[in-house]
Amino acid sequence: MKSLVFILLFIVFQSHAQISDFNHIDFKKADSIALGCKDEGLDNLPQLTYQLTSSLDTDVERFRAIYRWVCNNVANDYNLYLKNKRKRERFKDDSIKFKTWSNNFRKTLFKTLLKDQRTICTGYAYLVKELAKLANLDCEIVQGYGRVSTTDIENLDLPNHSWNAIKLKNKWYLCDPTWASGIPDPETNRFTFQYNDGFFLANPELFAVNHFPEEAKWWLLDKEIPTFETFLASPIIYGKAYKNLSLHIAPKQMHHTIKKHENVAFEYKLIKTITPKDISLMIDNGFNNWKTKPQSVSVEDKSLILEHQFKTSGFYDVHLYIGDDLISTYTFSVEN
Amino acid sequence: MKTQLTLTQKSAFKTFGFIGIMMLTLFAFNPIYGQTKTTTSAEVATNERTIKGLVSDEEKPLEGVNVIQKGTKTGTVTNEKGEFTFPKKLKTGDILLFSYLGYETQEVKIKDNTTFITLKLTADLVEMIGALDTAKPYKSKRKN
Repeated sequence: MKSLVFILLFIVFQSHAQISDFNHIDFKKADSIALGCKDEGLDNLPQLTYQLTSSLDTDVERFRAIYRWVCNNVANDYNLYLKNKRKRERFKDDSIKFKTWSNNFRKTLFKTLLKDQRTICTGYAYLVKELAKLANLDCEIVQGYGRVSTTDIENLDLPNHSWNAIKLKNKWYLCDPTWASGIPDPETNRFTFQYNDGFFLANPELFAVNHFPEEAKWWLLDKEIPTFETFLASPIIYGKAYKNLSLHIAPKQMHHTIKKHENVAFEYKLIKTITPKDISLMIDNGFNNWKTKPQSVSVEDKSLILEHQFKTSGFYDVHLYIGDDLISTYTFSVEN
Repeated sequence: MKTQLTLTQKSAFKTFGFIGIMMLTLFAFNPIYGQTKTTTSAEVATNERTIKGLVSDEEKPLEGVNVIQKGTKTGTVTNEKGEFTFPKKLKTGDILLFSYLGYETQEVKIKDNTTFITLKLTADLVEMIGALDTAKPYKSKRKN
């Protein structure tokens, strides 16, 4: 039975357009070209594209060089992001003011991007698309909802995130240049570059855990599309999940109500195999938090299965770690 | 009676005269059209020329627009009046790429009679939004 599940998983895993389709390609050359163009600005996009792509042989490498350049050279502007968020919420019921704000903000944003190489999501996605287009690649901006640990999901009624879809060898793939470029320092909120390779041609099924596209065609899933409610009920996954996982299989939900000593199962598909001792859970009951090992950890090739039970009642935030990487969060209300 | 007749005759003559002149002009310009056609079709391959132009958006001339010959590195940038003179002579069939951050990139194909390009770039009407990723662990809101 287990092996059948494994085979089925393998088939699902194979059918999605993702980075493993290009396992035979070494991105070192594309990456080093991207890093070499560090001092190029955005005042001449055709020339930048030419420098990034002209000596590369395949479309996926050309796209990689463009994507990598954008991730490494464009910073996230936290203040712009906050300002836009505030105004969008304020004007959301006033379509004229909303439109005027959006128009003016767009102009400000392009100026900031050109002059300071700072932007917010759509700026990243826009730049990736424009450079890709100049390299004759078919690339689109995907607008939708992104969900992270700090997202206020009760008020998530306007799209808040943009990413890209790219057509390579006649198949569409997903990537998220904004989230791949770095994260704001949790203390100071200052943006720090920290390239995360996991968002490049990620598995659409993993992507679906925290990306909800406005247009259904960009799910790129061959199974049923999640509703917005299921999306909001999904567990929280972090950037580092993309570095370690190709699939988040179970639990499907963020919040759980269980009994004491009830078994909870967690299941994932790994990008590369690990040892059970790398796995830990950080449990927070609101007063204290402590690191612990799940009751059982099984790693078979790239399949990771955990089981855990709670011995005392209470309300717990449970964070999964692989090594030092924070992967995902769930909550458990444990009843007697 | 006589005077009246002369008047009608006069006006008829005027009208015919006008039509006649119009017809003459038609004949006069025809050979020029013919000439243009023959020369261009004969000179398509060799007809290299300097291309100039003016680029603007809905409101004003645009400075800093990149004008590049497609597929090459050859290009120039528009000046503060939105004007450019392409540094290389171009021939019919060559393609110029106009690119400026925030505007839709446009391609212009050099035609037989192109010497001056007047182009209006359209702003990319993409809605700007942005959520950041974070490594902050989730924290449940608790009542106490």
